[in-house]
Amino acid sequence: MGTIVELRPRAREDFTQSLGMMIGLASWTMMFGALFFMYFGMRANAPMWPPAGTPRLPVALPAVNTAVLAASSLALWRGVSQLAKGRRGALAPWVGVAMVLGIAFVTLQVMGWRTQLAAGLLPSSGAYGSVFYGLTALHAVHVAAGLLVLLVVLVRSLLGTYTEHNVIRVRVAAMFWHFVDAVWLLMFVSIYLF
Amino acid sequence: MEQHIHPEPTNFIWKYVFTIDHKVIAKQFLFTGLTFLLVGGTLAMMIRWQWAFPWGAPVPVIGKLLLPTTGGAITPPAYASIFTMHGLIMIFWAITPILIGAFGNFTIPLMIGARDMAFPRLNMYSYWMFFVSSVFVVLSFTSQLGAASGGWTTYPPLSTNVGSPGWGQTYMALAIFSTGISTIMGGINYIVTVIRFRAPGMGYMQMPLTIWGMWLTAILNVLFVPVLGSAALLLALDRLFGTRFFVAGAAVGTHGGDPMLFQHLFWIFGHPEVYILILPAWGIVCDLLSFFARKPAFWYRGSVFAMVAVTVLSAVVYGHHMYQTGMAPLLGLGFEILTLTISVPAVLLFVNWLNTIWKGSIRLQTPMLFALGMVFVFGAGGLTGLLLGTISTDIYLHDTMYVVGHFHLTMAAASFLASFAALYFWFPKMFGRMMNETLGKFHFWGSVIFITLVFGGQLLAGYSGQHRRLFDPFQYEYITHLKLLNRWTSYFAFALFFTQTTFVFNFFFSIFAGKKATDNPWEVTTLDWTHTATPPVYHNFDVVPTVVRGPHEYANPEVKRLLKRDWIDQVEAMPEAASAGIVVGAEPEALGAE
Repeated sequence: MGTIVELRPRAREDFTQSLGMMIGLASWTMMFGALFFMYFGMRANAPMWPPAGTPRLPVALPAVNTAVLAASSLALWRGVSQLAKGRRGALAPWVGVAMVLGIAFVTLQVMGWRTQLAAGLLPSSGAYGSVFYGLTALHAVHVAAGLLVLLVVLVRSLLGTYTEHNVIRVRVAAMFWHFVDAVWLLMFVSIYLF
Repeated sequence: MEQHIHPEPTNFIWKYVFTIDHKVIAKQFLFTGLTFLLVGGTLAMMIRWQWAFPWGAPVPVIGKLLLPTTGGAITPPAYASIFTMHGLIMIFWAITPILIGAFGNFTIPLMIGARDMAFPRLNMYSYWMFFVSSVFVVLSFTSQLGAASGGWTTYPPLSTNVGSPGWGQTYMALAIFSTGISTIMGGINYIVTVIRFRAPGMGYMQMPLTIWGMWLTAILNVLFVPVLGSAALLLALDRLFGTRFFVAGAAVGTHGGDPMLFQHLFWIFGHPEVYILILPAWGIVCDLLSFFARKPAFWYRGSVFAMVAVTVLSAVVYGHHMYQTGMAPLLGLGFEILTLTISVPAVLLFVNWLNTIWKGSIRLQTPMLFALGMVFVFGAGGLTGLLLGTISTDIYLHDTMYVVGHFHLTMAAASFLASFAALYFWFPKMFGRMMNETLGKFHFWGSVIFITLVFGGQLLAGYSGQHRRLFDPFQYEYITHLKLLNRWTSYFAFALFFTQTTFVFNFFFSIFAGKKATDNPWEVTTLDWTHTATPPVYHNFDVVPTVVRGPHEYANPEVKRLLKRDWIDQVEAMPEAASAGIVVGAEPEALGAE
């Protein structure tokens, strides 16, 4: 029957919540994993990448964007740890900072797409364009979803819903945000750098 | 786990529509699934009609209604839509909601002693996401240029705008994606509930095997449905936004995508999927055979081990669906070995079933009959699969009706017989009334005999070289002699369809006018029957029980002597006299007098 670990009721409740989120993120990992599988499969069969005649994607803008998203994650992490220490007022400003950085990311991302469209790289221009627009757009949709979640967190933290006792509710939202950021890092490395 | 008792809603909307009660959500899945089962079954009849009478003969009764422009005759494009929608609907909108959505939701909290799922609200979203996907299916039927017609596998280039223009295929890609989200939400709930909400004393090895099946299925769902989701999403991007992930004819030299990648993604999901559909069936059958043979399930741990082994192996065999795609021979050999390895745990499970019923006091009630029928058709389906897992024979059988017969025996016939076993078994718990036994037995014999004849006929046709999905198979001269075989297979299929009317009648009649069920009509040992009312109260258990033994305590002579019955439930303590009885009964001299 295994060892029975007795936890305080709150800790048990918290563990159930984060277990649910972890399993959900495992599922998301498989979804993005499949996208990367498809992308690497495509590249493995391509004689050269980017295909002949297609210029490489610029690296500067997405590099800045990576830093923006990392800073956003850091801000959210800071807010959650402040809340866990009992500084309830500190959460809302940090969530606000994380959201502003997230919105900045999406804006820069749209700018990047527009530059490429203007330069003649279209979603229909073949595998390269498909991967660039398709994968980054699917990621951007997740960032947008994450921003909506953060908006709910922001409103609730302003209403004073969160305390150091129910910090888990912010923590699971933060887990999703960090996950989306980590996926971006992989996309930046594999789509732009290599 | 501290489980709160939520107040029961009194408003109709919150009680029956946007409900968070796992028992009502289970019924929502059940009714939606049964409706789609009827749709999928009707489509199957139209396919069989086409093979019995290719070219021209109008489909009787429903033909004029569904295909008005041709006066009821099936045209080639309509035929392509019919078999595509039949496959997709049966898998994602009939078996999945009935076996996993309905019975997973219903049994998991009740059998492990929980008051509800871990995340009741997520459970509600899961059903309504499924409902959204159902709307996409209906939209696909109503769209111009017809419903999806790229085959249930949705392979590009058939499924791209080039192969199937119009919105029908696009709606189905979106439908697959949204039903996938629904399945994942359900899966998260099942996994967490089993890990966190088992009643005190119920270790993993005290769980009913039904729960093991549901749990392993949920794990596979959560890990592999998102891969299908990705594939469907990329296909939708190709169709809607002109990307070139899978567009054929655009080789890498012209910077295009690769349709083969879809096949990889599809089968990385697709092979686990067939076990997703059979693992709950295995679990249910493991339990029911024990319950109705009045014997403990033979080698419980062995069955658990076998199911876990199959779950793990199912993730690494997908290549056997792609033997004919120019795969490297060494890679094919690897997939072949892994595929055939799956038969080891599968046979172990099968032998456990036979040993469970061996010399049991079998009660041949309807749920038991369906469970035995499942063992039979699954055995036939499993054996015919060996020829497809072996490359040298698969070369000849690939894409023939033999494949169709094989996978229908395993994931259609076996899954549905197990679903019906579960439905007859848990019907009293769901609706508080018994189903009619005589009608049930008629339903069983009709189903199992005609299922065997229909899919046996398909195996024979395929073995003789008839390819699957042909609009008119007999335009190939070498199979014109199979006309009679096909026609008779169709007759058996029609008989199978009409046998189901006894079930429909029995189901609705019993809901309203069936015999009132007692709390434990089958005299079984699990918490769902022994520690909650029939039908259960809103919060399932007034007091969450403490489990003291496994789920299959039957035919224990000591229990029989003290309690005058052949079972003792998972919670009940042995009467005080029991311990004394053992001491008195087992005299040291008697034991030592070898």
